[in-house]
Amino acid sequence: MPSGTLLGQALISGVLAGGMYGLLALGLSLSWGLLRLVNLSHFALAFLAAYLTYELGTTYHVAPWWAAAMVVPVMLMIGLAQHWLFDRFKVNELASLLITFSFAVILEVAIQLYWTADYRRFETHYSTMSIKVGAFYIPVLELALCMVAGVLAWGTWLWLRKTYVGKALRAAAEDADIAAAYGVDHKKLAYLLSGMGAAYAAIAGTFIALIATLAPAQIWAWLGVVFAVVIIGRLGNPLGALLAGMLIGASESIAMAIFAPAWAPVVSFSVLIAILLWDPEWL
Amino acid sequence: MADLLSVENLSAGYGRAVVLSDVAFALGEGEALAVLGRNGVGKTTLLDTLVGVTRRFAGSIALGGREVGTLAPEMRAGLGVGWVPQERNIFRSLSVEENLTAVARPGPWTIERVFGLFPRLKERARQSGGSLSGGEQQMLAIGRALATNPRLLLLDEPTEGLAPIIVQELLAALTRLLREEKLAAIIVEQHAQKILPITQRALILERGRIVHQSESAALLADPAPLERFLGVTGR
Repeated sequence: MPSGTLLGQALISGVLAGGMYGLLALGLSLSWGLLRLVNLSHFALAFLAAYLTYELGTTYHVAPWWAAAMVVPVMLMIGLAQHWLFDRFKVNELASLLITFSFAVILEVAIQLYWTADYRRFETHYSTMSIKVGAFYIPVLELALCMVAGVLAWGTWLWLRKTYVGKALRAAAEDADIAAAYGVDHKKLAYLLSGMGAAYAAIAGTFIALIATLAPAQIWAWLGVVFAVVIIGRLGNPLGALLAGMLIGASESIAMAIFAPAWAPVVSFSVLIAILLWDPEWL
Repeated sequence: MADLLSVENLSAGYGRAVVLSDVAFALGEGEALAVLGRNGVGKTTLLDTLVGVTRRFAGSIALGGREVGTLAPEMRAGLGVGWVPQERNIFRSLSVEENLTAVARPGPWTIERVFGLFPRLKERARQSGGSLSGGEQQMLAIGRALATNPRLLLLDEPTEGLAPIIVQELLAALTRLLREEKLAAIIVEQHAQKILPITQRALILERGRIVHQSESAALLADPAPLERFLGVTGR
């Protein structure tokens, strides 16, 4: 059995790593829950944003924060363009899964053509910075990621609950035809949400560039666990997505500390299956 | 003065099926119209066509002098068509208050005024729409339509399937809306005797066509058309 300090550090690292799951899950959860579009290209957009941040940082020496300010609007436009296609061809839930899978594969190939399949790492002095609290180390980048994810999740949650647009979106998600008959312009709102989702992917991408090693195939690395997180956090619930991300991150990390790293992937899907067995209506 | 609603030569239905044929009527500001008829004669299709959720084959629908027959439902709602569907279709995952605020538009009908009309809704403001009883859901459906501040309220069998005491409460609220607030309304109903007293005019549908149009009071005084087309008396 590992020591208390090791477990505590594992817990902290896990929660912080879960912040990334939550941040990636945020946009996916919104489009799946509120637009009934399962957007697999979300992961590819995040990695495209990561590579752009990397390119801006290494070739043009643009600070990551400025890179984010440039990459976010670009991804937002891509998100809107992608939604135009969904809208134009009246794409449904299942078709969206297949189409966005294709988008993601195309983006993966495009990334590989430009940046090659080599592993790339964007080294900044932030990556080694950490704060020491008692016996534990808290890496600064991961902490910043969690804070950004927290602000976005809270903000989005409040926006969905307190604003006219947010409530109209939830109404339209439940019954688009009825909402339309009460004056809710679902199409416009759907564009807004798709743009937001892509912008969130870009923000996640900036952190991916700073925290992870980039390779085109890594696009798929988080797919399984983030899918589980989206469902555990309940579709369309941004706070749920973040909390589920942190829960899964912590559980994985503890499982790795107690058993072995290979156990980590088992955790997220065990939790998912347990929840679906407990409440089949969860989805 | 131009009519608030003017329907001419209207034919509509679903897919290829024509349900309504050559329907024409007009409604003035502040007037209430009862739409009567047996099951399956096209009463709901008439309201649905005014809302814009059916297929219109021919004819025109003018609201305040503007043709709306070609507009999408959300545009018509924006121009003042308020709908209380037969199935109520409240947003079950939203709270009672959110059901109202999600669709609210500026105008005399504020959320507080809706709560004033239906105090039960205020008591349940934070409950989810799905947790309401049938009668409360109907109140919420009416309140939701009012929150859009409609010029014309369309009510599809508002008392159907509800307990008599709730029906009384709803009819009292409707009477207030029509008589005191002078809200223009079209009410579809199977039970003529419930709504003839609170409407000015009435029409009877039979197989998708209008077979009788008159003042409501005239139908109450001489219920022969009711007996003929509905098989009931105006009691």
